[in-house]
Amino acid sequence: MSADPLRVFPVDDFVREELYPGYRQAFGSQPFVAGPVRPFSPADNERYWLRDSLHFSEGMVPASVATLDDAQTWGAQLGAEIVGVPPTRGSVNRLAGTHVYIGTIDVDTQWQVQARAARFGQYVSPILADFDSYWSMRAAELIAAYEHFDNLDLAAMSPAELWTVLKDAYAFHRRAWFIHFEVMYVLTANYLAFYALAQEIGLSGSQVSSFLSGRETFYSRTDEELWRLAGLARSLGVDSALTHGAPGDMRSQVLALPGGSSWVAEFDSFLAAYGQRTEETCRVDTPSWIEDPSPALYSICTFLTKPAGFDFHAARAAAVAERDAQIDQARRSLNGSDLTRFNEALASNQAANFAWWNEEHNYLIDRRAAIPVRRATLEVGARLTDAGRISRPDDMFYLFKPELFDVMESGTDGRWAELAAMIPDRRAYFEYWRERGPSLPTMLGTIPDTVPDPIMIEVFGLSGHFLETLRGGAADSGAEIRGFPAAKGVAEGVARVITTVTDLHTVQPGEILVCGGTTTEWTPAFGVIAACVCDTGGSLTHAAIVSREYGIPCVVGTAVATTMIKTGDRVRVDGRAGTVRVLA
Amino acid sequence: MTDAAPSGRHDAVVDLAAVRASDAPWVGPKMARLGALASAGWRVPDGYAITAAALEGWLPPAALAELHRLFSAPVAGAAAAVGAEPAGGGHQRLARLSEQARQLIEGQALPSWLADAVADAHARLEARTGRGAALLVAVRSSAVGEDGHAASFAGQYETYLGVSGIDEVLRHIARCWASGYSAHALDYRRRFGGSSPLRAHDLAVGVLELVDARSAGVAFTLDPVTGDRGRLVVEANWGLGESVVSGQVTPDYWTVERDSGRIVERRTGGKLVWSVLGEAGGGGAGDGGGRGTVLAPLPAELAQAPCLTDDEVRYICRQAAAIEAAEGTPQDVEWAIARDLDVPDSVYFLQHRPETTWSTTSPATPAPGTPPAPPSGQSFDPVQYALRNVFKVPGT
Repeated sequence: MSADPLRVFPVDDFVREELYPGYRQAFGSQPFVAGPVRPFSPADNERYWLRDSLHFSEGMVPASVATLDDAQTWGAQLGAEIVGVPPTRGSVNRLAGTHVYIGTIDVDTQWQVQARAARFGQYVSPILADFDSYWSMRAAELIAAYEHFDNLDLAAMSPAELWTVLKDAYAFHRRAWFIHFEVMYVLTANYLAFYALAQEIGLSGSQVSSFLSGRETFYSRTDEELWRLAGLARSLGVDSALTHGAPGDMRSQVLALPGGSSWVAEFDSFLAAYGQRTEETCRVDTPSWIEDPSPALYSICTFLTKPAGFDFHAARAAAVAERDAQIDQARRSLNGSDLTRFNEALASNQAANFAWWNEEHNYLIDRRAAIPVRRATLEVGARLTDAGRISRPDDMFYLFKPELFDVMESGTDGRWAELAAMIPDRRAYFEYWRERGPSLPTMLGTIPDTVPDPIMIEVFGLSGHFLETLRGGAADSGAEIRGFPAAKGVAEGVARVITTVTDLHTVQPGEILVCGGTTTEWTPAFGVIAACVCDTGGSLTHAAIVSREYGIPCVVGTAVATTMIKTGDRVRVDGRAGTVRVLA
Repeated sequence: MTDAAPSGRHDAVVDLAAVRASDAPWVGPKMARLGALASAGWRVPDGYAITAAALEGWLPPAALAELHRLFSAPVAGAAAAVGAEPAGGGHQRLARLSEQARQLIEGQALPSWLADAVADAHARLEARTGRGAALLVAVRSSAVGEDGHAASFAGQYETYLGVSGIDEVLRHIARCWASGYSAHALDYRRRFGGSSPLRAHDLAVGVLELVDARSAGVAFTLDPVTGDRGRLVVEANWGLGESVVSGQVTPDYWTVERDSGRIVERRTGGKLVWSVLGEAGGGGAGDGGGRGTVLAPLPAELAQAPCLTDDEVRYICRQAAAIEAAEGTPQDVEWAIARDLDVPDSVYFLQHRPETTWSTTSPATPAPGTPPAPPSGQSFDPVQYALRNVFKVPGT
C-alpha cells in the first residue's frame, strides 16, 4: 500500500447535529471523568462545599482556572478512578467569585463500592510492596520534564515553536497532577490503615503522623540551606542589610557591603538549586523564587531575628529523638499480635510514608508544575506587549485557557483587541474578590452529619466535631474552641490572625498564629510563633506535621478560629487537649 | 536419631537456599535470617545448615551418661556453680567442669547417618562454589534461642573460620556443640536464665563459604552509643571481620545520616592490627585444625588508609536499613567485602541480629532463652485493613 500524506477521505457526508432521533451532543461525557470546575448552581445547595483555603488562600486568575481544573478536579477524579478508592470518585471544584471550594463525589451504590474495593487491593498492594521504585520512577519522569522545560530558550523561538511549548506545558501540567493524586490515594490508604490500627490497639490516632515524622524532605533541605545562609550572613557581617532593608533593594544593599558579593553568590547558587518553585498551588500568576526571591529572604530574616540563633540541627535531632521515644513508648504499651501488627504497619508506612511525601511532593508538583505554563505564557505576553496588543505581559493571566488556545490556534490577530478590552475589568473583578476572600464562609451548601471520604477527614479535618461546630455557628466569644489535638504543649500569647501567606511577614516572635490553614510556604513562621491554630485540617495537615517538628502546640480543624479570634486577643492553646480559649 | 523429627522439617541438613525465616526453631535464628536474606536476594555466602534436631540426639549414650555424671555429681560446688551464685572458687570449678565436658564431646564422632548427610551437602557446596576441595568454610554455631530480642547470646558459642575438607568440617561441628559447655557460656546461661546444661542444648550449625575479605565489619542501624535512630554507624577494618567483632582493633568508623545517606562523621587511621587466616595446618588462634584467624600487624600502607570507599559505606548503610525495615527493629549487621569485586557485587552479608542495648526496656520482647517465635508471614496487610476499617467496605 502506498501512503499519500495529502489524501483526504472527506467527513462532510457525516457532519450532522443528530444521530438517532432525540440525540443531543450533550449525551457525550465531557470531561470524561466526573465534572469540570464551574461556578455554583442552585443544585449545589444539596451537598457540602468546603472553602479550600488550605491550598488556595487567595483567588484564582482566569488562566489558573485551567490549572485548577487539571489538579483538584481532573487529576483527583482520574486518580481516584484508576486507583479505585472505594468510597470516593475524587474531588470537584466550584468557584465563588475567584475562590475555590471543594466537594467530593461519593460512590453511592454498594456494588460499585465492592467492585472498587476489589480492584483497589490489586492496584495498591504491589505499589506499597515497593513504593521506593514506584515513586522514584515518577519523580524521575517529573524531573526529566523540568529539565526539558527549564532549559528551553523561549525568547529565541519562532511563534510556532513557542505555541508548541505552551501546549506541551499544559499537557505536562495535567500529567503531573494525575501522578499527584495517584500517589496520594495509594499513600493515604497506607497511612489511614495505620491510623485506624493505632486506634484499635489503644494508641491515639493523632500520634501516627509523629511516628512518621523527621525524614528529610526537599523543604527541610531548603530550610537548612536558608539557615546556613543566615549564618553566613552573620559571619560576613551582611545581616543588618537583610533584616532592615526592604525586600526589593536588599540585593543592592547587601552588594554594597564588604563580603556582600560572596553572600549574594551563595544566595544565587541556592536559588539555582532550590528556586524553581512558587508560593502557591496551581497559580500561574505567582512568581518563582528565582523571579522573586522575597520569600527566601524573609525566611533568612526570620532565622536572623531569633535572638539565640535557632539551631537547625539541634531542632531536627530533637524532633527525631522525640519521634523515636514515642515509637518506643508505643511499643512498650503493646504485646503479642498488637505489637507485631504495629511493627508491620509502621514498617509499611516508613517505606511508603505519606507524612514525608506530603511535604516532599510539593516541590515536584504543587509548587512547580505550573511554572512551564507560566514561562511560556509570559513569553507570549511579552511579544504581544511589544506588538502593542496588550499593555503588559502578565495581562495574559487574565485570559482563560480556551480563549488563549483559540486565538493561538486560529492565528487571527484581530481577536486580541476584543480580549485585551476585557482585561481591566477582569483585574478589577479579581481585586474585588480578593477583598471578599477572608469573609467567605468555611462551608457552603448542606453541612452533612458525617463525610464518608476518610481522606477528606484527615486532610481537611472534616470531623464530626468540625461539622457540628459549623452547623451551630460560632459560639459566644470567651467560650472554648475545640479542634483536633495536632501537636502537644500549652502556650499562651497574643493572637495574630492571618488569611493569606502574603501577610506572613506581619507575624511577630512569640505570637500565636491563627489562620485558615497552612502550606509549606508558611513553614518559616513556625520558627518564631508560640503556637498555631487553624480552621481546617486533620492529622495529615501541614500545620500539624510542622508544629510537631518545631515543638510547638497546635490545634487544627477548629472550624471557627479565624472568626472567633481577633488579632491582639490573648489566647491559650492546649495542643494535647485540642482546645483554644480567648482570655481577653 | 532417637527423637522423632520435628514437624515441618525432616531434613537433618538443609541447603541455605532452602532455609526460610520460619525455620528458626530448627536452624536457629542466625541461619534462618541468613536464609531469608538469601531468598530475598541479598548476597550472602552460600552454605548449608545442620538442624538442632539432627544434633540433639547425636551424642552416643555412653558420652551422654558421662556428661550427666559430670554435671550432676554430688559435688556441691559444681551444682552451685551452674545453678546459683558461684561462691568462692565457683569460677575455677566451672572452668574445670567445662574443660572436661568439651574434651568429652570433641572426642565423639558424629553418627554415620548424619556424617553422610553433611558429606553430601558439603560436596554440593564444593561443586556450587566451583572451589572443590580447596573451598574454605566458616563453621558457625547457630543456637536456637540465641540472639533473642532481649539478651544477646551472641558470642557464647564459637565459630571456626578457614576450615576445609569434610573431615575437618565434621570435627568442627562437634566443636561448635562442645563450645556450648565453655565456662563463659555456662556462666552466661546461669545469669540470663537459659536452659540447664544438663539438658542437651538446642544448637544448629551453619557451614558457610568463607568470603575472601578485603575489608569487613559491622553496621549498626542506630548509633550504638546514643541510641539515635537517625544515624547508622559502620565499623570496619581491612581483612576478616574478626578483629572488629572481637574488639581487638580501633576500627575505621563512619556515621551516616539515615535520611540523606550523607556521611556525617568519619574516624579512620587508628588501626594497628588485622585478622587474617592462619597458615594452612599451622593452627591460628582458638583453632584446632582449621586455619583459624591470626591477629597480625597491619602493613603500614594500610594502617592510615580508610578500608572502605564512601560508596561502600553508603551502600552498606542502605542495605542495613533495608534489613532493619524488613525485620522491624534496629539491627547490627555483619558484612564482608570480597577481594577483587566491585561494589555492590563485592558486598556480602554474613549475619544480622536485633540490636539489644537500646531495645531491652520492652516487656513485650521474648524472655531470654526462649526461642523467638518464628517470624510469621505478614500479619498486617495495610490494604485489607484500610478496606475493612477505613473505607468500611462490607464483606472485606
